[in-house]
Amino acid sequence: MSQVNQEITQEISEEREARAVVYNFLSSLFAKEVTSDLVVQLTSAQGQSFLNSLALEPSLTGSIDGIKAKFATLNNEESLLELAADFCGLFLVDGRTSVSPYAGQYVNAKPSENQSEESGSRKKKDRVEIFGELHQKVTEFLTDSKLQVHSDFPEPGDHIAVILAYIAHLCVTAETKEQLNFIKCYLMTWLSDFTQKVNEHDHGLFYCYVADLTLAWLKVDTEFFPNNSRATN
Amino acid sequence: MKEIVMKRRNFLKGILATSFTLASTASVLTPLTALAKVGATKRDDWLTTGSHFGAFKIKRKNGVIDQVKPFDLDKYPTDMINGVKGLVYNPSRIRYPMVRLDFLLKGHKSDTSQRGDFRFVRMTWDQALTLFKQSLDEVQTNYGPSGLHAGQTGWRATGQLHSSTSHMQRAVAMHGNFVKKIGDYSTGAGQTILPYVLGSTEVYAQGTSWPLILDNAKTIILWANDPYKNLQVGWNAETHESYEYLAQLKEKVKLGKIRVISIDPVASKTQDYLGCEKIYVNPQTDVALMLAIAYELYSNNLHDQKFIDGYSLGFDRFVPYLTGESDGIAKTPEWAEKITSVPVDVIKDLAKTMVADRTQFLMGWCIQRQQHGEQPYWMAAVLATMVGQIGLPGGGISYGHHYSSIGVPSSGAAAPGAFPRNLDEGQKPIFDSKDFKGASSTIPVARWIDAILEPGKVIDANGAKVTYPDIKMMIFSGNNPWNHHQDRNRMKEAFHKLECVVSIDINWTATCRFSDIVLPACTTMERNDIDIYGSYANRGLLAMQKMVEPLFDSLSDYEIFTRFARILGKEKEYTRGMTELDWLKKLYSECKTANDGKFVMPEFEQFWQDGYVHFGEGKPWTRHADFRDDPEINPLGTPSGLIEIFSRKIERYQYDDCKGHPTWMEKSERSHGGPGSDKHPIWMQSCHPDKRLHSQMCESKEYRQTYTVQDREPVYLNPEDAKKRGIKSGDVVRVFNDRGQLLAGAVVSKNFPKGVIRIHEGAWYGPVGDDGSITGGAKVGALCSYGDPNTLTQDIGSSKLAQACSAYTCLVDYEKFRGKLPQVTSFQGPLEIGA
Repeated sequence: MSQVNQEITQEISEEREARAVVYNFLSSLFAKEVTSDLVVQLTSAQGQSFLNSLALEPSLTGSIDGIKAKFATLNNEESLLELAADFCGLFLVDGRTSVSPYAGQYVNAKPSENQSEESGSRKKKDRVEIFGELHQKVTEFLTDSKLQVHSDFPEPGDHIAVILAYIAHLCVTAETKEQLNFIKCYLMTWLSDFTQKVNEHDHGLFYCYVADLTLAWLKVDTEFFPNNSRATN
Repeated sequence: MKEIVMKRRNFLKGILATSFTLASTASVLTPLTALAKVGATKRDDWLTTGSHFGAFKIKRKNGVIDQVKPFDLDKYPTDMINGVKGLVYNPSRIRYPMVRLDFLLKGHKSDTSQRGDFRFVRMTWDQALTLFKQSLDEVQTNYGPSGLHAGQTGWRATGQLHSSTSHMQRAVAMHGNFVKKIGDYSTGAGQTILPYVLGSTEVYAQGTSWPLILDNAKTIILWANDPYKNLQVGWNAETHESYEYLAQLKEKVKLGKIRVISIDPVASKTQDYLGCEKIYVNPQTDVALMLAIAYELYSNNLHDQKFIDGYSLGFDRFVPYLTGESDGIAKTPEWAEKITSVPVDVIKDLAKTMVADRTQFLMGWCIQRQQHGEQPYWMAAVLATMVGQIGLPGGGISYGHHYSSIGVPSSGAAAPGAFPRNLDEGQKPIFDSKDFKGASSTIPVARWIDAILEPGKVIDANGAKVTYPDIKMMIFSGNNPWNHHQDRNRMKEAFHKLECVVSIDINWTATCRFSDIVLPACTTMERNDIDIYGSYANRGLLAMQKMVEPLFDSLSDYEIFTRFARILGKEKEYTRGMTELDWLKKLYSECKTANDGKFVMPEFEQFWQDGYVHFGEGKPWTRHADFRDDPEINPLGTPSGLIEIFSRKIERYQYDDCKGHPTWMEKSERSHGGPGSDKHPIWMQSCHPDKRLHSQMCESKEYRQTYTVQDREPVYLNPEDAKKRGIKSGDVVRVFNDRGQLLAGAVVSKNFPKGVIRIHEGAWYGPVGDDGSITGGAKVGALCSYGDPNTLTQDIGSSKLAQACSAYTCLVDYEKFRGKLPQVTSFQGPLEIGA
């Protein structure tokens, strides 16, 4: 390979890695409650550097600032417990003031490449049980990639944390077309709906910032994909 | 374009340059293991299991339950089979152990008035069980055993090994002693009075075989009984064999070979199915009707004096009451007509019919679930005695033919044993005190709210005095008192006084929402077990094969309490050193030994592979036949050994609400001209549901959608009453009285007479604030958004004898709901109080 080609390959590889880091970060925030370990990590120099580098993108600045401000207050057990209660009430139970983290509760089982978000979303009346077809679909993707959901995370495959983590994996292993297809079919079809609900129900605001950040990042990330003139709604 | 690309590249490089990485353990994904690769396709064949709703075969796809079909031997599966998948995969599942935040922070000094509507945090099992243990320590130390009530039970899930009640009580007994209960909500009054009258509880016992009834009876009296509805569910794995006999009965009715007379205010499902005769009676007045029939028999000398003389005691002390000699009121058909609305000639005709030929009485249970519920059961036994056919095939009286295959001939096989509920011989709890501080260690099952609100109060109960303990902590395992107990608003008041409430359940029931520590148990589909099928008939043994691993972080009850026992340092004592599989093999092999020489049972491995072992056909049998044959050699369990029409024992108690013989007594509230009917004219019947087992399966959203009206529990209304109120089917109705209010969905039906409405019990409680908002749902008086009838019922004991559940003594009124319709809040986890 020529020097130039090697450099290009190196750069593309770095871009992919960077994207994977962000997707994994977002996944971790939806996977479980904020722990004191995570607070230490994100308030460290490295962590702050990471957040600041994300905040350089204007559409992400607001959310990042919100997250940083929140982390600055998480310096005792009680504040962590209050945030844990927010997380629990939003994502660990089902109800009118909670927000389902499962794709299958928002979209139909067989989203196609060209399916718009509107036609893909499920009417409220049709909401199905969990571990449904979308869980099956995502699990098949994981299996094909020789992956599975960790036993420490006993959740369905269509949990947003799983989907985000899988996208992180695709970032470094798959062609952009494949990445875009998965993102469109398994995340973009419901993320707006999800984010809107989080904004309605999260009084603590932290998860509003996280959901907003996720939606904004998806827009920023997929903007540059080839054959994707309209990456999002 | 190039500039934008460069900008993006630099942006991404900047992120990477920070070298920020999360710990490797943070990812939710992991490399695929060999086991997982194989697991997806392995064992996707048909597996067997059972439940209260039926026995099934289930197939999985990629480790998720996919198809459900009835067990081969179930020829009459209920359509509840459509709700089975939803039992496992419904979003109301409790996913992780959780603790109410305020309780975590302040322990037994938490703000209990916010229970029911507050914030929870997730815990690990160790953390949650440790907190549980610490609360037990605190209560035993500060209050002793009278401070802890862990005795309530419910219908649990089927299986001989995994019993939510047994596991919890055995484990908690290793920690300390606690208050227990006597009786149950199903047959509280009936099971207390019948031992005095017929010598056994009668309600939970095998009855005369259906083939004998079908061959010999000429008249069947279905009194307040809807077997076609109630036989859909059973105590053990239900294989619905009774329906075969109901089908035969239907044929006989059609051919005019058997008269079936259903005495019921409502036109029931059974009436519709059989096409049988119906007699309307005013709600709660059945005893008056029975007395009038007895009067008619006696005054025309139609009663069987010989049978009365040879097999009963006290008729001569009952007659003066019947004739009016003792109280000045002759219990004539004319007297009864005024109370019951049953015409005189119908009463007289009924009396003649009962003695014309062989007559079988089949009593339902709801008739005793009211104030003075002991009386209709007692008086029905007296009637049957006067008819004189007790102990004859197709004659006599049964109190259970609508329940769990009673009447299906028993195979005679020995059933398997169960996991022990109590401590083993020689074991002692850590807190060994048995000092209940002068309070009773056992209280009537339905009086626990009274006990919390009035500790120290002394009441009469079944001939004894009960002193209410001062309860500070309660544990509910697989039972849902926020479904089956009465008067929700009174319950809220009582719960404020409890320092700690622990619930172990599968779904976020209202009971869990009013708890401090909530522990997730898994469903029957997520564990291995064995059970009998055919319930009282014991037709065979069923392998209950685990379909899927417990969802989320739920565990089997056995695993939950093994871990709890471990924290106590008593794991080996609890488990006897055995795994789940060891226990199953032990229970199976003991059953095999007990059946040796009579019933062939293969080795366990073969049984497990086959999925079941069938015990074969049973022999027809007549209840009370041996008593009739020789009452001296085969006496009843009453003090005299005879049927006690007059009970000297009860007379000695001197209870004003349960006397020495059956008595008609006015109710505290009664429709159709009775007390309270001027203010609230409608009687609310809250009988067992058609589409659930009590509150089980209400959580299955898909199945619920087959019967809800505007997402709410149906309320069945009489057409005239509804029209008067401007209500039509599909409207939302507010039902209310001085005790509470609820919203339900109107179904106008001519099956329901004037002055009567029905709302099935088991409707999940979902309180909301006055203006429909979610805040204030915890307030006393809050509107139930879904339609739980126990928001309106009365929390009084049936009488001083049984002190049993009296849900059917309940008057209400209703109107079309005109406010802003609140959303249903019942099927979700805890709600956050608005910031």
